[in-house]
Amino acid sequence: MITVDRLTVSYGGFTAVDDVSFTAQPGRVTGFLGPNGAGKSTTMRVMVGLTPATSGHVTIGGLRYQDIPNPGRHVGTLLDASAQHAGRTGREILAIGAQTMGLPKTRVDEMLELVGLSDSESTRRLRNYSLGMKQRLGIAHALLGDPSVLILDEPANGLDPAGIRWMRGLLKGYADRGGTVLLSSHLLHEVEQIADEMILIGLGRIVAQGDKKSLLAGARGADVALVTSLDNAALGAALAVDGYLVEQAGGGLRVTATTEQVGRAALSAGVVLTDLRSGGAGLEDLFLELTSSTQRDALPNGVPA
Amino acid sequence: MSDLAAPQFTLDVSGTPRVPFGRLVRVEWRKMLDTRAGIWLLGITAGLLALISAIVILIVALADVSPPSATDWLNIMTIPVSMLVPVIAITIVTQEWSQRTAMVTFALESSRLRVVLAKLVAVMALGAATIVLAAVLGLVGNVVGAALAGTDANWNVTVGAFGWALTTQILYLLMGFGFGLLLLSSPGALALYYVYVWILEGGVIIPGIMYVLWIAFDWAQAIMPWISMRLAMLPFQIGDGDAQDLQGEFGLKLDTGALGIAHVITSVLIWVGIPLLLGTWRLMRAEVK
Repeated sequence: MITVDRLTVSYGGFTAVDDVSFTAQPGRVTGFLGPNGAGKSTTMRVMVGLTPATSGHVTIGGLRYQDIPNPGRHVGTLLDASAQHAGRTGREILAIGAQTMGLPKTRVDEMLELVGLSDSESTRRLRNYSLGMKQRLGIAHALLGDPSVLILDEPANGLDPAGIRWMRGLLKGYADRGGTVLLSSHLLHEVEQIADEMILIGLGRIVAQGDKKSLLAGARGADVALVTSLDNAALGAALAVDGYLVEQAGGGLRVTATTEQVGRAALSAGVVLTDLRSGGAGLEDLFLELTSSTQRDALPNGVPA
Repeated sequence: MSDLAAPQFTLDVSGTPRVPFGRLVRVEWRKMLDTRAGIWLLGITAGLLALISAIVILIVALADVSPPSATDWLNIMTIPVSMLVPVIAITIVTQEWSQRTAMVTFALESSRLRVVLAKLVAVMALGAATIVLAAVLGLVGNVVGAALAGTDANWNVTVGAFGWALTTQILYLLMGFGFGLLLLSSPGALALYYVYVWILEGGVIIPGIMYVLWIAFDWAQAIMPWISMRLAMLPFQIGDGDAQDLQGEFGLKLDTGALGIAHVITSVLIWVGIPLLLGTWRLMRAEVK
Protein backbone atom coordinates (compact mmCIF):
# COMPACT_ATOMS: atom_id res chain seq x y z
CA MET A 1 0.00 0.00 0.00
CA ILE A 2 1.24 3.49 -0.87
CA THR A 3 0.13 6.34 1.35
CA VAL A 4 0.69 9.92 0.28
CA ASP A 5 -0.04 12.28 3.13
CA ARG A 6 -0.41 16.03 2.55
CA LEU A 7 2.52 16.09 0.18
CA THR A 8 3.80 19.45 -1.05
CA VAL A 9 6.83 20.03 -3.25
CA SER A 10 7.84 23.62 -4.04
CA TYR A 11 10.66 24.99 -6.14
CA GLY A 12 11.18 28.56 -5.03
CA GLY A 13 7.84 30.20 -5.73
CA PHE A 14 6.52 27.40 -7.91
CA THR A 15 4.47 24.66 -6.28
CA ALA A 16 4.72 21.48 -8.34
CA VAL A 17 2.76 19.31 -5.91
CA ASP A 18 0.25 21.04 -3.67
CA ASP A 19 -1.10 19.31 -0.56
CA VAL A 20 -1.69 15.95 -2.24
CA SER A 21 -3.09 13.01 -0.26
CA PHE A 22 -4.19 9.62 -1.55
CA THR A 23 -3.61 5.92 -1.09
CA ALA A 24 -2.94 3.16 -3.58
CA GLN A 25 -4.45 -0.03 -2.19
CA PRO A 26 -3.05 -3.53 -2.50
CA GLY A 27 -4.94 -5.79 -4.87
CA ARG A 28 -5.91 -2.83 -7.02
CA VAL A 29 -4.53 -0.88 -9.92
CA THR A 30 -4.51 2.82 -9.15
CA GLY A 31 -4.32 5.18 -12.10
CA PHE A 32 -2.63 8.53 -11.60
CA LEU A 33 -3.98 10.82 -14.29
CA GLY A 34 -3.24 14.34 -15.28
CA PRO A 35 -2.05 16.53 -18.12
CA ASN A 36 1.66 17.11 -18.74
CA GLY A 37 3.32 18.98 -15.90
CA ALA A 38 0.54 18.26 -13.41
CA GLY A 39 2.96 16.90 -10.80
CA LYS A 40 2.61 13.15 -11.38
CA SER A 41 6.30 12.42 -11.93
CA THR A 42 7.36 14.67 -9.06
CA THR A 43 5.00 12.84 -6.70
CA MET A 44 6.38 9.49 -7.86
CA ARG A 45 9.98 10.62 -7.41
CA VAL A 46 9.19 11.68 -3.84
CA MET A 47 7.80 8.16 -3.23
CA VAL A 48 11.19 6.59 -3.88
CA GLY A 49 13.25 9.29 -2.20
CA LEU A 50 14.70 10.86 -5.34
CA THR A 51 13.04 14.24 -4.79
CA PRO A 52 12.81 15.74 -1.30
CA ALA A 53 9.34 16.69 -0.07
CA THR A 54 8.88 20.28 1.03
CA SER A 55 6.25 19.11 3.50
CA GLY A 56 4.11 16.03 4.06
CA HIS A 57 5.37 12.51 3.50
CA VAL A 58 4.94 9.25 1.67
CA THR A 59 5.05 5.73 3.10
CA ILE A 60 5.05 2.43 1.29
CA GLY A 61 3.62 -0.43 3.31
CA GLY A 62 4.00 1.76 6.40
CA LEU A 63 7.69 2.48 5.82
CA ARG A 64 9.56 5.44 4.44
CA TYR A 65 11.38 4.37 1.26
CA GLN A 66 14.83 4.92 2.79
CA ASP A 67 13.90 2.52 5.62
CA ILE A 68 13.14 -0.33 3.23
CA PRO A 69 16.19 -2.61 3.05
CA ASN A 70 17.12 -3.72 -0.48
CA PRO A 71 14.15 -1.70 -1.76
CA GLY A 72 14.16 -3.28 -5.23
CA ARG A 73 12.90 -6.50 -3.63
CA HIS A 74 9.81 -4.75 -2.32
CA VAL A 75 9.08 -1.83 -4.60
CA GLY A 76 9.48 -2.04 -8.37
CA THR A 77 9.94 1.32 -10.04
CA LEU A 78 9.92 2.55 -13.60
CA LEU A 79 10.28 6.31 -13.52
CA ASP A 80 11.80 6.96 -16.92
CA ALA A 81 12.52 4.19 -19.39
CA SER A 82 15.16 6.33 -21.10
CA ALA A 83 17.11 6.92 -17.89
CA GLN A 84 19.55 4.10 -18.56
CA HIS A 85 23.06 4.15 -19.98
CA ALA A 86 22.72 4.31 -23.77
CA GLY A 87 25.87 2.23 -24.19
CA ARG A 88 24.73 -0.76 -22.13
CA THR A 89 22.84 -3.67 -23.59
CA GLY A 90 19.35 -4.40 -22.31
CA ARG A 91 20.58 -7.64 -20.81
CA GLU A 92 23.44 -5.88 -19.01
CA ILE A 93 21.06 -3.28 -17.56
CA LEU A 94 18.92 -6.06 -16.07
CA ALA A 95 22.01 -7.96 -14.93
CA ILE A 96 23.25 -4.93 -12.98
CA GLY A 97 19.86 -4.60 -11.30
CA ALA A 98 19.74 -8.32 -10.50
CA GLN A 99 23.26 -8.23 -9.07
CA THR A 100 22.47 -5.22 -6.87
CA MET A 101 19.37 -6.94 -5.52
CA GLY A 102 21.24 -10.22 -5.03
CA LEU A 103 19.16 -12.21 -7.51
CA PRO A 104 20.32 -15.22 -9.57
CA LYS A 105 21.30 -14.56 -13.19
CA THR A 106 18.42 -16.73 -14.40
CA ARG A 107 16.06 -14.00 -13.24
CA VAL A 108 17.27 -11.80 -16.11
CA ASP A 109 16.23 -14.36 -18.71
CA GLU A 110 12.89 -14.88 -17.01
CA MET A 111 12.14 -11.16 -17.12
CA LEU A 112 13.28 -10.78 -20.72
CA GLU A 113 10.93 -13.57 -21.68
CA LEU A 114 8.10 -12.09 -19.63
CA VAL A 115 8.26 -8.73 -21.40
CA GLY A 116 8.83 -10.26 -24.81
CA LEU A 117 12.35 -9.09 -25.58
CA SER A 118 14.15 -11.64 -27.73
CA ASP A 119 17.72 -12.84 -27.23
CA SER A 120 19.04 -10.74 -30.09
CA GLU A 121 17.15 -7.66 -28.88
CA SER A 122 18.52 -8.11 -25.38
CA THR A 123 22.12 -7.92 -26.62
CA ARG A 124 21.54 -4.65 -28.46
CA ARG A 125 22.65 -1.43 -26.83
CA LEU A 126 19.94 0.78 -25.38
CA ARG A 127 20.60 3.60 -27.85
CA ASN A 128 19.31 1.26 -30.56
CA TYR A 129 16.08 0.54 -28.71
CA SER A 130 12.73 2.02 -29.73
CA LEU A 131 10.74 3.74 -27.01
CA GLY A 132 8.42 0.72 -26.83
CA MET A 133 11.38 -1.62 -26.29
CA LYS A 134 12.76 0.69 -23.60
CA GLN A 135 9.39 0.57 -21.86
CA ARG A 136 9.37 -3.23 -21.96
CA LEU A 137 12.89 -3.29 -20.56
CA GLY A 138 11.88 -0.78 -17.87
CA ILE A 139 8.92 -2.95 -16.86
CA ALA A 140 11.24 -5.98 -16.75
CA HIS A 141 13.59 -3.99 -14.49
CA ALA A 142 10.73 -3.00 -12.19
CA LEU A 143 9.60 -6.63 -11.89
CA LEU A 144 13.10 -8.10 -11.35
CA GLY A 145 12.97 -8.23 -7.58
CA ASP A 146 9.47 -9.74 -7.47
CA PRO A 147 8.19 -6.70 -5.55
CA SER A 148 4.78 -6.33 -3.94
CA VAL A 149 4.43 -2.68 -4.94
CA LEU A 150 4.85 -1.27 -8.44
CA ILE A 151 5.33 2.42 -9.22
CA LEU A 152 5.26 3.06 -12.96
CA ASP A 153 5.48 6.49 -14.57
CA GLU A 154 3.86 6.55 -18.01
CA PRO A 155 4.61 2.87 -18.67
CA ALA A 156 2.36 2.72 -21.74
CA ASN A 157 4.15 5.60 -23.42
CA GLY A 158 5.53 4.38 -26.73
CA LEU A 159 3.93 0.93 -26.55
CA ASP A 160 1.93 -0.16 -29.57
CA PRO A 161 -1.75 -1.11 -29.09
CA ALA A 162 -0.82 -4.78 -28.67
CA GLY A 163 1.81 -3.78 -26.15
CA ILE A 164 -0.67 -1.69 -24.18
CA ARG A 165 -3.09 -4.62 -24.08
CA TRP A 166 -0.26 -6.90 -22.93
CA MET A 167 0.74 -4.50 -20.18
CA ARG A 168 -2.87 -4.16 -19.06
CA GLY A 169 -3.13 -7.93 -18.64
CA LEU A 170 0.20 -8.10 -16.84
CA LEU A 171 -0.66 -5.40 -14.30
CA LYS A 172 -4.18 -6.68 -13.80
CA GLY A 173 -2.86 -10.14 -12.99
CA TYR A 174 -0.30 -8.59 -10.71
CA ALA A 175 -2.93 -6.71 -8.71
CA ASP A 176 -5.16 -9.79 -8.61
CA ARG A 177 -2.35 -11.61 -6.82
CA GLY A 178 -2.40 -8.95 -4.11
CA GLY A 179 0.14 -6.47 -5.44
CA THR A 180 -0.20 -2.70 -5.31
CA VAL A 181 0.07 -1.00 -8.68
CA LEU A 182 0.29 2.75 -9.20
CA LEU A 183 0.65 3.88 -12.78
CA SER A 184 0.54 7.35 -14.20
CA SER A 185 -0.62 8.52 -17.57
CA HIS A 186 -1.71 11.64 -19.34
CA LEU A 187 -3.92 9.53 -21.62
CA LEU A 188 -7.21 8.52 -20.11
CA HIS A 189 -7.95 5.61 -22.41
CA GLU A 190 -4.73 3.91 -21.36
CA VAL A 191 -5.82 3.88 -17.75
CA GLU A 192 -9.60 3.75 -17.95
CA GLN A 193 -9.84 0.05 -18.71
CA ILE A 194 -7.31 -1.17 -16.20
CA ALA A 195 -7.50 1.12 -13.19
CA ASP A 196 -9.79 0.15 -10.33
CA GLU A 197 -9.22 3.50 -8.75
CA MET A 198 -8.28 6.82 -10.33
CA ILE A 199 -6.56 9.89 -8.97
CA LEU A 200 -6.98 12.95 -11.19
CA ILE A 201 -4.39 15.65 -10.74
CA GLY A 202 -4.01 19.07 -12.33
CA LEU A 203 -1.57 21.87 -11.50
CA GLY A 204 -0.24 19.90 -8.56
CA ARG A 205 -3.65 19.48 -6.92
CA ILE A 206 -5.90 16.46 -6.79
CA VAL A 207 -9.12 17.40 -8.57
CA ALA A 208 -10.98 14.12 -8.18
CA GLN A 209 -10.46 10.56 -7.01
CA GLY A 210 -12.47 7.40 -6.80
CA ASP A 211 -13.46 4.46 -8.97
CA LYS A 212 -14.83 5.04 -12.43
CA LYS A 213 -18.48 4.76 -11.38
CA SER A 214 -18.31 7.17 -8.48
CA LEU A 215 -16.29 9.64 -10.51
CA LEU A 216 -18.94 9.64 -13.24
CA ALA A 217 -21.77 9.85 -10.73
CA GLY A 218 -20.29 12.92 -9.16
CA ALA A 219 -19.47 14.52 -12.46
CA ARG A 220 -22.78 16.03 -13.53
CA GLY A 221 -25.72 17.01 -11.36
CA ALA A 222 -28.53 16.74 -13.90
CA ASP A 223 -29.20 13.61 -15.92
CA VAL A 224 -29.23 13.85 -19.67
CA ALA A 225 -30.66 11.32 -22.11
CA LEU A 226 -30.26 11.17 -25.87
CA VAL A 227 -33.25 9.64 -27.58
CA THR A 228 -34.38 8.93 -31.13
CA SER A 229 -37.84 7.59 -31.96
CA LEU A 230 -40.15 7.03 -34.89
CA ASP A 231 -42.10 10.15 -33.83
CA ASN A 232 -39.80 12.64 -32.21
CA ALA A 233 -42.39 15.40 -32.22
CA ALA A 234 -44.92 13.38 -30.21
CA LEU A 235 -42.33 12.11 -27.79
CA GLY A 236 -40.90 15.61 -27.33
CA ALA A 237 -44.34 16.99 -26.58
CA ALA A 238 -45.03 14.22 -24.07
CA LEU A 239 -41.75 14.84 -22.30
CA ALA A 240 -42.29 18.60 -22.25
CA VAL A 241 -45.69 18.04 -20.64
CA ASP A 242 -43.95 15.99 -17.95
CA GLY A 243 -41.76 19.01 -17.28
CA TYR A 244 -38.49 17.91 -18.86
CA LEU A 245 -36.38 20.23 -20.94
CA VAL A 246 -36.27 18.98 -24.55
CA GLU A 247 -34.14 20.17 -27.41
CA GLN A 248 -33.24 18.95 -30.88
CA ALA A 249 -29.93 17.16 -31.12
CA GLY A 250 -29.06 15.88 -34.58
CA GLY A 251 -31.65 13.33 -35.67
CA GLY A 252 -33.01 12.94 -32.14
CA LEU A 253 -33.72 14.73 -28.89
CA ARG A 254 -31.64 15.73 -25.92
CA VAL A 255 -33.69 15.53 -22.71
CA THR A 256 -32.79 16.49 -19.15
CA ALA A 257 -34.11 13.24 -17.74
CA THR A 258 -32.86 9.77 -16.93
CA THR A 259 -33.12 7.12 -19.62
CA GLU A 260 -35.72 5.39 -17.46
CA GLN A 261 -37.90 8.50 -17.32
CA VAL A 262 -37.71 8.88 -21.09
CA GLY A 263 -38.57 5.21 -21.56
CA ARG A 264 -41.64 5.51 -19.37
CA ALA A 265 -42.76 8.66 -21.21
CA ALA A 266 -42.38 6.83 -24.54
CA LEU A 267 -44.33 3.87 -23.21
CA SER A 268 -47.27 6.00 -22.11
CA ALA A 269 -47.16 8.07 -25.32
CA GLY A 270 -47.01 4.88 -27.40
CA VAL A 271 -43.94 6.01 -29.37
CA VAL A 272 -41.44 3.43 -30.67
CA LEU A 273 -37.86 4.15 -29.55
CA THR A 274 -35.02 3.38 -31.94
CA ASP A 275 -32.18 4.66 -29.77
CA LEU A 276 -31.97 5.62 -26.11
CA ARG A 277 -28.79 6.25 -24.15
CA SER A 278 -27.35 8.31 -21.38
CA GLY A 279 -25.92 11.57 -22.63
CA GLY A 280 -24.03 12.25 -19.45
CA ALA A 281 -20.40 13.14 -19.53
CA GLY A 282 -17.97 10.37 -20.33
CA LEU A 283 -14.84 9.95 -18.33
CA GLU A 284 -12.91 11.79 -20.99
CA ASP A 285 -15.18 14.82 -20.68
CA LEU A 286 -14.90 14.66 -16.94
CA PHE A 287 -11.12 14.46 -17.14
CA LEU A 288 -10.93 17.45 -19.45
CA GLU A 289 -13.44 19.41 -17.42
CA LEU A 290 -11.70 18.81 -14.12
CA THR A 291 -8.30 19.66 -15.46
CA SER A 292 -9.44 22.35 -17.92
CA SER A 293 -8.18 25.21 -15.81
CA THR A 294 -4.80 23.52 -15.82
CA GLN A 295 -4.68 22.59 -19.49
CA ARG A 296 -2.14 24.14 -21.77
CA ASP A 297 -4.71 24.23 -24.56
CA ALA A 298 -7.66 26.11 -23.14
CA LEU A 299 -11.11 24.78 -23.96
CA PRO A 300 -13.09 27.95 -24.77
CA ASN A 301 -16.53 26.97 -23.46
CA GLY A 302 -15.62 24.47 -20.83
CA VAL A 303 -16.30 21.05 -22.20
CA PRO A 304 -17.56 20.62 -25.73
CA ALA A 305 -20.69 18.47 -25.64
CA MET B 1 4.96 -11.28 -4.56
CA SER B 2 3.96 -14.45 -6.35
CA ASP B 3 3.51 -16.28 -3.06
CA LEU B 4 1.11 -13.70 -1.69
CA ALA B 5 -2.17 -15.06 -0.48
CA ALA B 6 -3.84 -11.83 0.58
CA PRO B 7 -3.37 -8.15 -0.13
CA GLN B 8 -0.38 -6.70 1.67
CA PHE B 9 -0.96 -3.48 3.56
CA THR B 10 2.42 -3.40 5.23
CA LEU B 11 5.75 -4.53 3.90
CA ASP B 12 7.39 -7.41 5.70
CA VAL B 13 11.04 -6.52 5.47
CA SER B 14 12.27 -8.87 8.20
CA GLY B 15 13.60 -11.35 5.64
CA THR B 16 15.47 -8.81 3.53
CA PRO B 17 18.85 -7.59 4.73
CA ARG B 18 20.12 -4.36 3.22
CA VAL B 19 22.34 -4.64 0.13
CA PRO B 20 25.80 -5.62 1.43
CA PHE B 21 28.50 -3.01 0.84
CA GLY B 22 30.76 -5.48 -0.97
CA ARG B 23 28.01 -6.11 -3.50
CA LEU B 24 27.61 -2.39 -4.12
CA VAL B 25 31.37 -2.18 -4.77
CA ARG B 26 31.24 -5.09 -7.21
CA VAL B 27 28.31 -3.50 -9.03
CA GLU B 28 30.15 -0.18 -9.31
CA TRP B 29 33.26 -2.02 -10.54
CA ARG B 30 31.15 -3.73 -13.18
CA LYS B 31 29.62 -0.43 -14.26
CA MET B 32 33.10 0.96 -14.99
CA LEU B 33 33.83 -1.87 -17.42
CA ASP B 34 30.55 -2.71 -19.14
CA THR B 35 30.32 0.15 -21.66
CA ARG B 36 32.42 0.89 -24.71
CA ALA B 37 33.39 4.24 -23.19
CA GLY B 38 34.69 2.50 -20.06
CA ILE B 39 36.58 -0.17 -21.99
CA TRP B 40 38.14 2.45 -24.26
CA LEU B 41 39.25 4.58 -21.33
CA LEU B 42 40.94 1.62 -19.64
CA GLY B 43 42.36 0.41 -22.93
CA ILE B 44 43.82 3.84 -23.66
CA THR B 45 45.30 4.07 -20.17
CA ALA B 46 46.98 0.67 -20.42
CA GLY B 47 47.95 1.29 -24.05
CA LEU B 48 49.47 4.68 -23.29
CA LEU B 49 51.52 3.26 -20.41
CA ALA B 50 52.86 0.50 -22.67
CA LEU B 51 53.42 2.90 -25.56
CA ILE B 52 55.37 5.39 -23.48
CA SER B 53 57.68 2.76 -22.03
CA ALA B 54 58.18 1.30 -25.53
CA ILE B 55 59.08 4.72 -26.96
CA VAL B 56 61.58 5.43 -24.20
CA ILE B 57 63.23 2.03 -24.71
CA LEU B 58 63.26 2.61 -28.48
CA ILE B 59 65.02 5.95 -28.03
CA VAL B 60 67.60 4.33 -25.75
CA ALA B 61 68.15 1.54 -28.29
CA LEU B 62 68.41 3.75 -31.38
CA ALA B 63 70.01 6.94 -30.09
CA ASP B 64 73.22 6.74 -28.19
CA VAL B 65 71.92 8.17 -24.92
CA SER B 66 72.41 7.00 -21.40
CA PRO B 67 69.40 5.00 -20.22
CA PRO B 68 66.85 6.70 -17.94
CA SER B 69 67.29 6.06 -14.24
CA ALA B 70 64.54 4.69 -12.03
CA THR B 71 63.70 8.27 -10.99
CA ASP B 72 63.26 9.20 -14.65
CA TRP B 73 60.99 6.21 -15.16
CA LEU B 74 58.93 7.21 -12.14
CA ASN B 75 58.55 10.74 -13.48
CA ILE B 76 57.63 9.50 -16.95
CA MET B 77 55.10 6.91 -15.85
CA THR B 78 53.24 9.25 -13.52
CA ILE B 79 52.22 11.39 -16.52
CA PRO B 80 49.78 8.94 -18.17
CA VAL B 81 48.53 7.80 -14.77
CA SER B 82 47.77 11.36 -13.64
CA MET B 83 46.16 12.09 -17.01
CA LEU B 84 43.75 9.20 -17.21
CA VAL B 85 43.02 7.61 -13.83
CA PRO B 86 41.27 10.73 -12.48
CA VAL B 87 39.13 10.75 -15.64
CA ILE B 88 37.76 7.39 -14.55
CA ALA B 89 37.21 8.79 -11.05
CA ILE B 90 35.30 11.75 -12.50
CA THR B 91 33.16 9.79 -14.92
CA ILE B 92 32.14 7.09 -12.42
CA VAL B 93 30.22 9.89 -10.69
CA THR B 94 29.20 12.25 -13.49
CA GLN B 95 28.08 9.50 -15.87
CA GLU B 96 25.23 8.70 -13.48
CA TRP B 97 23.94 12.22 -14.16
CA SER B 98 24.66 12.56 -17.86
CA GLN B 99 23.09 9.15 -18.55
CA ARG B 100 20.50 9.70 -15.80
CA THR B 101 21.14 6.27 -14.32
CA ALA B 102 21.25 7.87 -10.86
CA MET B 103 17.47 7.42 -10.82
CA VAL B 104 17.89 3.65 -10.96
CA THR B 105 21.01 3.49 -8.79
CA PHE B 106 19.47 5.45 -5.92
CA ALA B 107 16.12 3.68 -6.25
CA LEU B 108 17.94 0.38 -5.61
CA GLU B 109 20.12 1.76 -2.80
CA SER B 110 18.54 4.74 -1.14
CA SER B 111 21.58 5.53 1.02
CA ARG B 112 23.44 7.78 -1.37
CA LEU B 113 26.44 7.89 0.96
CA ARG B 114 26.88 4.11 0.61
CA VAL B 115 26.73 4.43 -3.16
CA VAL B 116 29.35 7.20 -3.11
CA LEU B 117 31.63 5.13 -0.86
CA ALA B 118 31.16 2.05 -3.05
CA LYS B 119 32.11 4.10 -6.10
CA LEU B 120 35.15 5.44 -4.28
CA VAL B 121 36.34 1.97 -3.26
CA ALA B 122 35.81 0.63 -6.79
CA VAL B 123 37.66 3.49 -8.47
CA MET B 124 40.48 3.32 -5.89
CA ALA B 125 40.90 -0.35 -6.70
CA LEU B 126 41.04 0.45 -10.40
CA GLY B 127 43.50 3.29 -9.74
CA ALA B 128 45.67 0.92 -7.69
CA ALA B 129 45.66 -1.63 -10.51
CA THR B 130 46.73 1.06 -12.99
CA ILE B 131 49.53 2.25 -10.71
CA VAL B 132 50.75 -1.34 -10.27
CA LEU B 133 50.79 -1.72 -14.06
CA ALA B 134 52.71 1.55 -14.42
CA ALA B 135 55.20 0.46 -11.75
CA VAL B 136 55.76 -2.93 -13.40
CA LEU B 137 56.26 -1.33 -16.81
CA GLY B 138 58.69 1.20 -15.30
CA LEU B 139 60.56 -1.59 -13.56
CA VAL B 140 60.83 -3.66 -16.71
CA GLY B 141 61.72 -0.57 -18.72
CA ASN B 142 64.55 0.27 -16.36
CA VAL B 143 66.00 -3.23 -16.63
CA VAL B 144 65.57 -3.44 -20.42
CA GLY B 145 66.88 0.10 -20.98
CA ALA B 146 70.01 -0.61 -18.97
CA ALA B 147 70.56 -3.93 -20.71
CA LEU B 148 70.26 -2.26 -24.14
CA ALA B 149 72.75 0.43 -23.13
CA GLY B 150 75.02 -2.21 -21.63
CA THR B 151 75.09 -0.59 -18.20
CA ASP B 152 73.82 -1.59 -14.80
CA ALA B 153 70.29 -0.43 -14.05
CA ASN B 154 70.22 2.64 -11.85
CA TRP B 155 67.86 2.07 -8.90
CA ASN B 156 68.00 5.58 -7.49
CA VAL B 157 64.37 5.74 -6.32
CA THR B 158 64.02 5.83 -2.57
CA VAL B 159 61.03 4.38 -0.77
CA GLY B 160 60.18 7.93 0.25
CA ALA B 161 60.16 9.26 -3.31
CA PHE B 162 58.03 6.36 -4.49
CA GLY B 163 55.67 6.88 -1.57
CA TRP B 164 55.22 10.56 -2.38
CA ALA B 165 54.63 9.81 -6.06
CA LEU B 166 52.01 7.25 -5.06
CA THR B 167 50.44 9.72 -2.62
CA THR B 168 50.23 12.36 -5.35
CA GLN B 169 48.46 9.99 -7.73
CA ILE B 170 45.97 8.95 -5.05
CA LEU B 171 45.32 12.60 -4.21
CA TYR B 172 44.73 13.39 -7.88
CA LEU B 173 42.29 10.51 -8.08
CA LEU B 174 40.44 11.75 -4.98
CA MET B 175 40.49 15.27 -6.37
CA GLY B 176 38.91 14.10 -9.63
CA PHE B 177 36.27 12.19 -7.66
CA GLY B 178 35.57 15.31 -5.56
CA PHE B 179 35.29 17.55 -8.64
CA GLY B 180 32.89 15.03 -10.18
CA LEU B 181 30.66 15.09 -7.08
CA LEU B 182 30.84 18.85 -6.82
CA LEU B 183 29.98 19.67 -10.42
CA LEU B 184 28.00 16.53 -11.42
CA SER B 185 29.06 17.24 -14.99
CA SER B 186 31.79 15.45 -16.95
CA PRO B 187 32.99 18.41 -19.06
CA GLY B 188 33.03 20.78 -16.09
CA ALA B 189 34.88 18.42 -13.77
CA LEU B 190 37.37 17.35 -16.46
CA ALA B 191 38.11 20.97 -17.36
CA LEU B 192 38.62 21.92 -13.72
CA TYR B 193 40.91 18.92 -13.18
CA TYR B 194 43.09 19.58 -16.22
CA VAL B 195 43.31 23.30 -15.53
CA TYR B 196 44.55 22.53 -12.03
CA VAL B 197 46.96 19.71 -12.86
CA TRP B 198 48.36 20.97 -16.15
CA ILE B 199 48.02 24.76 -16.08
CA LEU B 200 48.22 25.72 -12.41
CA GLU B 201 50.45 22.96 -11.07
CA GLY B 202 52.34 21.86 -14.15
CA GLY B 203 54.50 18.78 -14.41
CA VAL B 204 58.09 17.76 -14.79
CA ILE B 205 58.21 18.82 -18.42
CA ILE B 206 56.09 21.98 -18.50
CA PRO B 207 56.03 24.04 -15.31
CA GLY B 208 52.64 25.41 -14.27
CA ILE B 209 51.61 28.94 -13.38
CA MET B 210 51.91 28.42 -9.63
CA TYR B 211 55.36 26.90 -10.01
CA VAL B 212 56.57 29.80 -12.17
CA LEU B 213 55.17 32.41 -9.77
CA TRP B 214 56.75 30.59 -6.85
CA ILE B 215 60.17 30.64 -8.50
CA ALA B 216 59.90 34.22 -9.76
CA PHE B 217 58.28 36.31 -7.06
CA ASP B 218 59.01 36.78 -3.39
CA TRP B 219 55.37 37.31 -2.49
CA ALA B 220 54.41 34.04 -4.16
CA GLN B 221 56.99 32.07 -2.21
CA ALA B 222 55.05 32.51 1.00
CA ILE B 223 51.61 31.90 -0.54
CA MET B 224 51.97 29.21 -3.18
CA PRO B 225 52.92 26.27 -0.92
CA TRP B 226 49.64 26.84 0.93
CA ILE B 227 47.52 26.54 -2.19
CA SER B 228 49.53 24.21 -4.42
CA MET B 229 49.70 20.54 -3.48
CA ARG B 230 52.74 20.05 -5.70
CA LEU B 231 54.71 22.90 -4.15
CA ALA B 232 53.65 21.86 -0.66
CA MET B 233 54.93 18.31 -1.24
CA LEU B 234 58.01 19.32 -3.20
CA PRO B 235 60.32 19.76 -0.18
CA PHE B 236 59.51 16.18 0.91
CA GLN B 237 59.99 14.64 -2.53
CA ILE B 238 62.95 16.53 -3.88
CA GLY B 239 66.46 15.07 -4.02
CA ASP B 240 69.22 16.75 -2.01
CA GLY B 241 70.99 18.07 -5.13
CA ASP B 242 67.88 19.70 -6.55
CA ALA B 243 67.01 21.14 -3.16
CA GLN B 244 70.40 22.84 -2.95
CA ASP B 245 69.90 24.26 -6.46
CA LEU B 246 66.51 25.72 -5.61
CA GLN B 247 67.68 27.11 -2.32
CA GLY B 248 70.97 28.41 -3.69
CA GLU B 249 69.98 29.83 -7.10
CA PHE B 250 66.50 31.07 -6.36
CA GLY B 251 66.81 31.69 -2.65
CA LEU B 252 63.76 29.51 -2.05
CA LYS B 253 62.99 28.13 1.36
CA LEU B 254 61.95 24.48 1.44
CA ASP B 255 60.04 23.63 4.58
CA THR B 256 59.98 20.05 5.71
CA GLY B 257 59.18 20.86 9.31
CA ALA B 258 55.85 21.69 10.93
CA LEU B 259 55.29 24.53 8.46
CA GLY B 260 55.86 22.16 5.53
CA ILE B 261 53.38 19.68 6.95
CA ALA B 262 50.88 22.51 7.46
CA HIS B 263 51.35 23.44 3.77
CA VAL B 264 50.57 19.88 2.71
CA ILE B 265 47.50 19.61 4.93
CA THR B 266 46.11 22.98 3.86
CA SER B 267 46.62 22.50 0.11
CA VAL B 268 45.17 18.99 0.24
CA LEU B 269 42.17 20.30 2.15
CA ILE B 270 41.58 23.00 -0.45
CA TRP B 271 41.79 20.77 -3.52
CA VAL B 272 40.74 17.36 -2.20
CA GLY B 273 39.04 17.65 1.18
CA ILE B 274 36.67 20.52 0.47
CA PRO B 275 35.53 19.31 -2.98
CA LEU B 276 34.90 15.84 -1.55
CA LEU B 277 32.93 17.17 1.41
CA LEU B 278 30.93 19.79 -0.49
CA GLY B 279 30.39 17.38 -3.39
CA THR B 280 29.10 14.62 -1.13
CA TRP B 281 26.86 17.12 0.62
CA ARG B 282 25.52 18.26 -2.75
CA LEU B 283 24.90 14.72 -3.94
CA MET B 284 23.07 13.82 -0.72
CA ARG B 285 20.66 16.69 -1.22
CA ALA B 286 20.36 16.82 -5.00
CA GLU B 287 17.08 16.07 -6.68
CA VAL B 288 17.50 13.10 -8.98
CA LYS B 289 15.52 13.35 -12.20
